[in-house]
Amino acid sequence: MSPVSPTLRPLRGLRVDLSTGASAEEELSREVAFAYLGGRGLGAYLALRERLYEVEPLSPENLMIFAPGPLTGTGAPASGRYSVTSRSPLTRTVFDGNSGGSWGVALRRLGLDYLVVAGACATPGYLLVGGDSAATAAGGGAGAPRAASRDGPSVELRPAGELWGLDVPASLARLRELYPGSEAGVIGPAGERGVLFASIVNNRGRSLGRGGLGAVMGAKRLKAVVVAGHGAHRPPVADPERLSFVAYEAEKLLKANPITSQALPEFGTSVLVNVLNQAGALPTRNFRASQFEEAQAISGESLRRDYVQRRAACRGCSIGCARRTSTGDASGEGPEYESIWALGADCGVGDLKAIVEAGYACNRAGMDTITMGSTIACAMELTQEGLLADGPRFGDAAAVVALCEATARGESLGGELGQGSARLAARHGRPDLSMSVKSLELPAYDPRGMTGQGLAFATSNRGGCHLRANMLGPEILGVPKMIDRFATLGKAGLLINLQNLNAVLDSLSVCKFTAFAMKEDYYARLLSAVWGETVEPQELLRIGERIWNAERLFNLAAGFARADDSLPRRLLEEPVVAGPAAGRVVDLPPMLDEYYISRGWDGEGRPTAAKLERLGLTSAAPGRVRETTAGVGEDAA
Amino acid sequence: MSSAVLEQFQLIGRDLFVAGLVSSHGGNMSMRQGDRILITRRGSMLAQLEERDIVDIGLEENDANVTLASTEIVVHRAIYQQTSALAIVHAHPPYAIAQSLAKDEIVPVDSEGSYLLHKVPVVEAQLTAGSTEVAELLPKWLKEYDLVMLRGHGPFAIGHLLEEAYQLTSVFEMTCRILTISQGMGGNVKEYRKGSERYGSW
Repeated sequence: MSPVSPTLRPLRGLRVDLSTGASAEEELSREVAFAYLGGRGLGAYLALRERLYEVEPLSPENLMIFAPGPLTGTGAPASGRYSVTSRSPLTRTVFDGNSGGSWGVALRRLGLDYLVVAGACATPGYLLVGGDSAATAAGGGAGAPRAASRDGPSVELRPAGELWGLDVPASLARLRELYPGSEAGVIGPAGERGVLFASIVNNRGRSLGRGGLGAVMGAKRLKAVVVAGHGAHRPPVADPERLSFVAYEAEKLLKANPITSQALPEFGTSVLVNVLNQAGALPTRNFRASQFEEAQAISGESLRRDYVQRRAACRGCSIGCARRTSTGDASGEGPEYESIWALGADCGVGDLKAIVEAGYACNRAGMDTITMGSTIACAMELTQEGLLADGPRFGDAAAVVALCEATARGESLGGELGQGSARLAARHGRPDLSMSVKSLELPAYDPRGMTGQGLAFATSNRGGCHLRANMLGPEILGVPKMIDRFATLGKAGLLINLQNLNAVLDSLSVCKFTAFAMKEDYYARLLSAVWGETVEPQELLRIGERIWNAERLFNLAAGFARADDSLPRRLLEEPVVAGPAAGRVVDLPPMLDEYYISRGWDGEGRPTAAKLERLGLTSAAPGRVRETTAGVGEDAA
Repeated sequence: MSSAVLEQFQLIGRDLFVAGLVSSHGGNMSMRQGDRILITRRGSMLAQLEERDIVDIGLEENDANVTLASTEIVVHRAIYQQTSALAIVHAHPPYAIAQSLAKDEIVPVDSEGSYLLHKVPVVEAQLTAGSTEVAELLPKWLKEYDLVMLRGHGPFAIGHLLEEAYQLTSVFEMTCRILTISQGMGGNVKEYRKGSERYGSW
């Protein structure tokens, strides 16, 4: 396909400056739409272009880029998603969060492909974006909606008033009352207080959980971004019949795959508790062990038996991995596998009711459960080592619930925990006890039991994360096929493909769970139907590679280097004590060397000039990075 | 080369022969590792591969190992340069070859083949083994299809892992056997798949 194909539209955006209240429509060319798709790719492009690596994450100069993708709202499977990109206050890397729900679809139905939020409100406020005057009028309040152009959607900054201080469910409910049919992304008390791992939550309880994007929003004193419903713009599809055919075939694959048709619908993501525990890859007590003796008590099977009320799904998704649960005293969303692990096994807690309640506390406050749980686990080990007086102890379920609530309120130890484990561990003299990469806490996979995942964590552009690439498929589940999970070499190519593909999925924007059943050729066919011309799978992966390298350029410009592509000392030096992974550590240096060569980077992890040229990134590379890569390893790419 | 990689070549090579998908010295396989290709040696017996039978050669440029590599190295290299493949299996399955003699595309009628293949294009070359003609022809098709049939010669299948490419090869041969059998029934086949009339446009 040609990047200037007439069926490919430029991307239509809206930029709002909270400091001045001004808004303006803007456009990104068809070449950019082709090169970066939308969602995360668009965010990486703008973050690099606008030099966010030079701004402080919590300053008004930081931007937030809200962007669905070209498949959002088209009827492609599990495509009701959007991304938010900014510079993270937790990791200081470029950082995108991705969420389901209906917010992204609502924005596209206003005819918008992205929204850029700049500046900061003088007093707490929220943004109302909507092309429907009736929906806007229902809110009442001050001032008429203001459109950036005559035919564009209106945008208005409104005072948050009573909303400021409300928790997440109450905020979402109040906004739904004010604007029936609207979709909102909100922050809770954690974001308002600057907890560095505060999340943004949209309707249906779906979160942009990681990296503290909610703290960025809180620093801007922006309570919510509300998108009025009823938008009349149907996201453009060049060949609806073709899209319907490919989507039908894709749904057949999803229904035929036991992970997407049985495991996730039946148990949700928590089906993984027993799977990872049996593999000896379920990190326990701050990664001191890799199997948890009470795994069965906190498993997906136990959750379904005792707490699940019903399953739920994001818009346009047939998998339906979400869960509505109740403890009798309270009800809410989740917990997901990662939350059960972080607030459970990682803290040595086998009390599932307490885990569910701790998850609710995080959801109410708007906090990332992974970082919250892992930071409590870090505090527990600091206590055990005698470095934290009167701190929590491993296995203390009540303390976990109480500390989640204290962190949301910023009280006592909660104030320290709200800075994440890397800062906590460093302050108490043992930075190695933070189980994080680039200050982002690792999720629920012990890489000593799946070494490829270790390389994935170390090289992730947003820190310790399983969503940049998850080797769970090939190393544990046999998707696409089973590989030797303990082997050190020979995994770089597969990992890079996964990283590039996930960058594509986050940019289209499609749920990654579909990739348990589908390969890149399906996504290429879906996009081809939407754009009206053939997009080859290889072309799509090249776009993913461009996005990955753009993010890498950002991080290099922000000062990150090879030394940051590492793992906590424990995983490199302390062998697993017992279980299937007993005696294992991660031998990272040779894996990293192989990875850099396979990426076409030099030995320090910098894209070579030849690589940048091939990806069309030469002019996008920040000057300071270009100078160090010029002429380096021209023949290595 | 790690022992795990050699083991993959050995297991799949053995299976290809045992399943009747290659003759004693026929077929070839390769894996891409960064900017290198690991490919079976020219004239090697896929059922009895040893470490010396796997040749390590450059992705972009030739080196001395080209004297040992499979005759199809030029085709494998072109595929890696132009597609997302990390592994390639090329076999000579008899039913597939027979079907390719009569058709320009092979559309499965069985369920497994329908799910995994939808449609297999049949392409034709004057020089079918290791030629630049094939090297120019095949990657264009493999950009859109994971398996393409070279008329009278055999399929080239790609994947992220050898096992994936092997699976497609195996499924394709089974599909062609079923097609051959059902054609022997006089073409009296009932359609059971919604939308199968569109498979030709896959």
